[in-house]
Parts: sequence; structure tokens; C-alpha cells
Amino acid sequence: MTDVALEPMDDLEFPDDVHATSTGISNPKLAMWTYLASDCLLFGGLISTYLLYRNRPGNIPGLSGSNLRASELFNIPFTSMTSFILLMSSLTMVLAVNSAIRKDAERVRLWLIATSVLGAMFLGGQIYEFTEFVREGLGFTSNVSASAFFTLTGLHGAHVAVGVLMLLSASVYSVRRQLNAEAVETLGLYWHFVDIVWVVIFAIVYLIP
Amino acid sequence: MSTTIDVDDDSPVHPGEHHDHGPSDRTYWKVFWILVAITALEVSTYFWDVWFGESSWSLAVPLLLLLMVVKFVLIASVFMHLRFDSKLLTRIFYFGLATACIVYLVALSVMNIFTDNGNPWFNDPPPAVTPSAVVTGETGPGGMGD
Repeated sequence: MTDVALEPMDDLEFPDDVHATSTGISNPKLAMWTYLASDCLLFGGLISTYLLYRNRPGNIPGLSGSNLRASELFNIPFTSMTSFILLMSSLTMVLAVNSAIRKDAERVRLWLIATSVLGAMFLGGQIYEFTEFVREGLGFTSNVSASAFFTLTGLHGAHVAVGVLMLLSASVYSVRRQLNAEAVETLGLYWHFVDIVWVVIFAIVYLIP
Repeated sequence: MSTTIDVDDDSPVHPGEHHDHGPSDRTYWKVFWILVAITALEVSTYFWDVWFGESSWSLAVPLLLLLMVVKFVLIASVFMHLRFDSKLLTRIFYFGLATACIVYLVALSVMNIFTDNGNPWFNDPPPAVTPSAVVTGETGPGGMGD
């Protein structure tokens, strides 16, 4: 590794201390893409499970269970709005990455915080949706269909929550001048993947009857 | 689909890495509005049965799947920079995705989700439960309670 002379920035430094690798790709970025590829299998399994059980109600002989299905309670206009919010957060994330590339520290912070706020709004929407479902009598253990739905969308929500925490941490790091463009880009990959998964869930779970 | 990308060439993320550098903010905004338009079209299909009748679903389902794929590819290639990064990353990601699709399509096919196999406990609603069925523990043909 060769030492790179850093020029002082007005506000924030983005050190270009990228290690030379045999692939020409930095290790954190390669690791993130490998993780995202493996996450496809995780979400693929959960989506398949939901597809398998979505029409299976709970009146199993000898067992109590609700016949209510999540699809009967979907509020599509509301979920469309939260989908739009998540899509918007993807835009603010790429703007943060571009600002980091341009070494514009102030805008990096602005876009990172905007992304985390939009992510938190999406999470709030999901919590509201879950609360409404429970109020209507559909809980996690109501029937197999409900369990599959809550596991799938809940795990996606957990991914969003982790993403929001990472975005807030990145904002703090940027204030402490310990953030580089590569870290913002790698964080962006994770965030866009969360959006991509929602694109699939929204179409397959919510819109296709 | 061919689009012109405004490339921001003077902004290296990884010096020495072999890839073209990402698009400009203007390109991101353009892609964002395309994604918004696609999402609006997707959401509109929800109302198609009211506007055009129930038969419109035969067109809506393939259209929704197609739009989902277009959105997926747009985000992955532009927002996630796959189009501008090393081809190795594209191969890694799409290998994982293809593996997931193949494995789960086979699994769902084995469980007859695409056909009506007469098994009421997968996908299709089960038959009405009668009191005698509860007493004898009868769960229907091929039932999971067997």
C-alpha cells in the first residue's frame, strides 16, 4: 500500500486509502456484494414460504386459528405511499454517494440524514400497518399465512432498521471527519438492496392477488 | 432500452479500480422519476378490476411481474452502479439471485403451487371443516395432519 498525501478539505476529509487487491475491487465492497447475493436466498425463501401459505387459513381440524388473511386487510394506497418514501430514500442515498465522491461533506451529511429520516418514516408506516392488522385480529400466531406475512415483512423492516442505524452512525462519523467515500458507497449498496427487496415484496405480496 | 448517462469522470471513488465512474445527479433524478412512473403504473393495476373488469387481471399479473423486473434492474444497474462497476460484482450478485430463483421455483413446483394438485393444505383454501372431521382427526387428502 502506498501512502496517499491527503489534501486538507474545508469541512471533512475523505481519505482515498484503498488497499490494492487482486480483483481490483476493494474488500469491503466485495464483501457487501457477496452478502447481498446471499441475502437474495434468505428473502427468496421467505417470499416462497408466503406464496405457499398465503391462502391457507387457520381452521385446521383440532386447532383454533383465524381464517383472516393479511391480503384481506391490505391498505394499498397507504402501502404505495410508504413504497414511494422508500424509493425516495434510494434517491437521497445516491445523492449522498455522489456528494461523497465530490468530497462535499456538508451535502453528504444532509443526504445521509434525509435518507435515515425517510427510512424511519417507512418503518413508522410498517409499524402502523402491523398495529392495524393486530387491531383487526390478525396477529403473528393467528394462522400460518399471517406468520409467513409477518416474518417476511418484519425481517425486511429489521433490515431497514439496521440501515437507519448505519446511516445515523455514518452521519456521526462524518461530523468526526472519519468517513470516506467508499464507506458511503458500501452503505448505499445495502440501502438500495433493501429498496430492491421491497420492490419485489410490494409487487408479489401486495399487488398480485 | 438505450439511455444516455451523464458520467461524472472527475470523481474517483476507488483509485486504480477498473470501472467507469457513476452517473451525475441529473441522471439519478431521471431514473428516479422513471421508477416513480413505473410504481404509479403498478399501483394503478390494483384498480383495474373496477375500471376494466375482473378479466383485466390476466394482463395485470404478467405486467406487474415485468414492471417489478424493470425496477429491480434499474435500481441494481444505476443506483447500485453495477452498470459502471467491475463485471465480477454483477456476476456475484446475479449468481446469488439466479440461484435463489431456481431453488425456490423448483421447491414451489414440487409443492404444486402452480397447479391444482387437489391438496387443500397448500395454497388453495381447504374444504369446509365438519364436526365429524374434527372428531376423527380427518385433515383432507394428503393433509399435513396425517
